[in-house]
Amino acid sequence: MIRFQNVSKTYKNGTVALRDVSIEIDKGEFVFLVGASGSGKTSLIRLLLREELPDSGRIWEAGRDIVHLPKWRVPYLRRNIGCVFQDYRLLPNKTVFENVAFALEVIGRPKHVVATQVPQVLELVGLAKKRDNLPSELSGGEQQRVAVARAFVNRPLILLADEPTGNLDPNTSQGIMQLLDRINRTGTTVLVATHDEVLVNWMRRRVVELDHGTVIRDQARGVYGIEGSATSGPPSGRLPIVAAAGARLRARGQEPA
Amino acid sequence: MPISTEYVARETVSNLWRNRLMTIAAVLTVAVSLSLVGAALLLKQGAARAEAEWQRGTEVMVWMKPTATHAEETAVGTQLRGLSYLTGCRFYNQTYDWHEAKQLVGNVYVESGVTAKQTPASWRCTPLHPADANAVIKRFAGQAGVLKATAPLKQIRTEQHVINILQWVFLLVALVLLISAAVLILNTIRMAIFARRREVSVMKLVGATNWFIRLPFMSEGMVQGLLGSGVAAAVVYGLHVLLDRIGGGTSGSVLAQMRMTGWEVFVTDVVVVAIGVLIGTGGSALAISRFLDV
Repeated sequence: MIRFQNVSKTYKNGTVALRDVSIEIDKGEFVFLVGASGSGKTSLIRLLLREELPDSGRIWEAGRDIVHLPKWRVPYLRRNIGCVFQDYRLLPNKTVFENVAFALEVIGRPKHVVATQVPQVLELVGLAKKRDNLPSELSGGEQQRVAVARAFVNRPLILLADEPTGNLDPNTSQGIMQLLDRINRTGTTVLVATHDEVLVNWMRRRVVELDHGTVIRDQARGVYGIEGSATSGPPSGRLPIVAAAGARLRARGQEPA
Repeated sequence: MPISTEYVARETVSNLWRNRLMTIAAVLTVAVSLSLVGAALLLKQGAARAEAEWQRGTEVMVWMKPTATHAEETAVGTQLRGLSYLTGCRFYNQTYDWHEAKQLVGNVYVESGVTAKQTPASWRCTPLHPADANAVIKRFAGQAGVLKATAPLKQIRTEQHVINILQWVFLLVALVLLISAAVLILNTIRMAIFARRREVSVMKLVGATNWFIRLPFMSEGMVQGLLGSGVAAAVVYGLHVLLDRIGGGTSGSVLAQMRMTGWEVFVTDVVVVAIGVLIGTGGSALAISRFLDV
């Protein structure tokens, strides 16, 4: 579904974002992209959205070579990719329903499709009752759910999430992850860039770790840090609040199925 | 992918209303700047009209020797009538010219003892272009029976010169105003779009084509341009009516000579509205394109 082949990217100011990255992600996989800030996670997502082009290497997405994709095809590529960001990126003047419907209108879906699909997806994210609220009337977690609904409403093949829980408290973050997990189970490939250690360790999915633009680890059912650190309890130096949240999650036995 | 007109119309109306302060700013900018442009255009046309008005009175005159025979007079007349750049050629006999001279110069003329028999008769024609008078003067100088050919050339040249400068000044003013209007309008639209770059980025994110994003913005710009230039057109018309009223009573004044037909004002208004719509629509398209390149 997604394939990076020896991809390198250096920005104009000389910052090396990616260095000879090769990754392959199959259809229906759920992958965490982890690494410190500046390790190249966001650059990788931007490449997948064709917001940037690599300096060298090739990228295939949904069977297409997106590096050599003509510019006018880019919108059509993006219709196959749902995207969620840390800052939600909702339109503040549109209601929840309109925000989600917007994604369908933009790609020219007829009214009756909008009228049936939007309520469905709002039901999925648990916001059916808030369909007429404005984003400003929602909590952060609810806003991110709207963003997920918008990303998923036209059933994309791939769902990208760049720090989707970066602005949310641990409990809410967990809810968002469960939502992404549910979407993944419909067959959508999900790629989540995050440095939320607790969530990564809790979900136990494939983890790709970037460091200064290089893939230093690619591990099935992986954890955030070095293998084993999650099972042996919080390592020293971890933020107490995060550790507490992780402990709370484990205590409740809320393991994703 | 067809873009539904309903979508564009809905987005346009809601965006114009939502950003109404910006809308008002853009409409006012268009209105004020295009009013000035339209007024300058109107004045330029007025100057052109005044020039035509002044030139209508100029005549070229071929004075016959008092001793010229009837055959010579007829020959000159035939030649003048044969020139395509002259119109309304008429013959004035010696008696008429004597009376005219008496009127123009006064009794001194009579007292000097000049009789009608000694006064030259004349052919008088109106050239289509005052400059053609020169050709007539050259052509008839020294011909049998011709005393000399004259035209108020120097006066015409001075008038023409002044009017030409005036026309250029008005055109230049109109151009400078047009450019500053374009920059002002573009800037206003750009600010409006800059405030909504987030919206544009979301549209791009969910896979909107560039035209899909551009169209509502362009139609917004068009509406703003139309509203603004509509006001400007009304101002231009008002100016015309005002000038007409001031200059109406005093025929012969500059204002009266500059008076324009309704058609000319209409054309100016059409030009103003066309500029407004063009700048509004094109400006939006231009302003949005920088945010589309992601």
